[in-house]
Amino acid sequence: MTALRPESDPPVDALDLRFRAGDDVALREAYDRYGRAVLHLATSMLANRSDAEDVTQATFVAAWLGRDTFDPAKGSLIGWLLGIGRRKVIDRMRASARETRVVETVRQLPEPARTDPDPDRVVDRLVIADELARLPDDQRHMLELAFYDDLTHQQIATVTGVPLGTVKSHIRRGMASLKRRWEVDGAAPGPRPAGISGAR
Amino acid sequence: MQHLDHDRLVFLALGESEAANGESTHLDTCAHCRAELATLQRVAGIGTETQGLSDLPEPPESIWQGIAAQVAAAQASPAPAETRRPQVPGQVDGATADSVSATADSVSGPAVRRLDPARRSRRGRGWSRWAATAVIAAAAAVIGVVGTIAVLRPGDPAPAPTQVVVASAPLAAYGSTPPAAKGDARIFQDGQLHLHVANLPRVPGYYEVWLIDPTTMTMFSVGTLGGGPDALLPLPPNVDLKSYSVVDVSAEQYDNNTRHSGDSLLRGSLTG
Repeated sequence: MTALRPESDPPVDALDLRFRAGDDVALREAYDRYGRAVLHLATSMLANRSDAEDVTQATFVAAWLGRDTFDPAKGSLIGWLLGIGRRKVIDRMRASARETRVVETVRQLPEPARTDPDPDRVVDRLVIADELARLPDDQRHMLELAFYDDLTHQQIATVTGVPLGTVKSHIRRGMASLKRRWEVDGAAPGPRPAGISGAR
Repeated sequence: MQHLDHDRLVFLALGESEAANGESTHLDTCAHCRAELATLQRVAGIGTETQGLSDLPEPPESIWQGIAAQVAAAQASPAPAETRRPQVPGQVDGATADSVSATADSVSGPAVRRLDPARRSRRGRGWSRWAATAVIAAAAAVIGVVGTIAVLRPGDPAPAPTQVVVASAPLAAYGSTPPAAKGDARIFQDGQLHLHVANLPRVPGYYEVWLIDPTTMTMFSVGTLGGGPDALLPLPPNVDLKSYSVVDVSAEQYDNNTRHSGDSLLRGSLTG
């Protein structure tokens, strides 16, 4: 595994350390920086806007009061916050599902089909988006063209006027960073089943 | 066995090229490269779904005000007798879930932060330095907040002069309000009322907070509740809380009538 992961661990963000140490202004800074991501997670999962705002608030309060369990060496602050938010979102969904069931039992209606997105997936997207934003501009730009515009490396080279070899190297480095970050902070990282054969 | 080049795996994962014959054969037999490729494919798949996430709208300030008020309230109230189940998940291997002392739900007071010696030693010198800082910070926090509270005001996260809670009241659904509606009111010594509400029914107008004298049924308005579940409202100086001992949250219409609508949602009596 080490042969494919030559990069050292990413540096720990200073805010993460200050948050852990209980720095007075770190909570506000963390909210300014990551409040939108936590709220996005909550609004993606919860139909009720005020529930989502409640969960966002509860997430930051719980994180601050429980900051001594945050270990910056094991993952980023945003990854940790999203982990708390995810738990709270799921708790809230279960609670409202229980209420719905009670109401439905009374009305004898069938269970509605669930169309909620997967909270793990939403967390993964937010983590990857955060890492993308931290990449050097060149790497981010090339990856965005590949991800969002579905351009091939050759097309990216043509569009940007950057030599093909450079495009490839930016994308390779960017992907390595995204992968490393996801393995640390993703909602369900860890060993994947090895049987996926998408290579043919 | 020669593993596939990392560049190749990235390009395969992005669909940039097809696996050549030899590569397919290798992937068939090498679980390591297969897992690596699968991870890269997953990351690339997530990457394609991140559009717009770098530009999310700012959350409303009312959420921050709620956070500040709740943190202040949590640090003000004495630690509950029972130990709640930790609600903050540990990271990756779960080894960090050892010292949860407080969450938003179990509004507990300051606790001496315990540092696990195993974690300390594993981390080496950097961690020791860091732990020393944390211990000092925790000690300072305990000295600073025992029996008192650092009131966090919106937009002013620096601790204000410390406060004690002089009275509090659990608020329950009133009249025909759905019974799930509830709340808590706390009066700080500096004359501010902290209100936390939950499950209020939606109303066409807004929520207003009142203090009522139950003997005379005279009342005055303390302020209105914003969108969030928490509010910090200043009380008039010299308010007689022995007389005006009932906290009331009402549903009000935008009707240019400043009097209580008569539609009370929550009520509770102050004690303390």
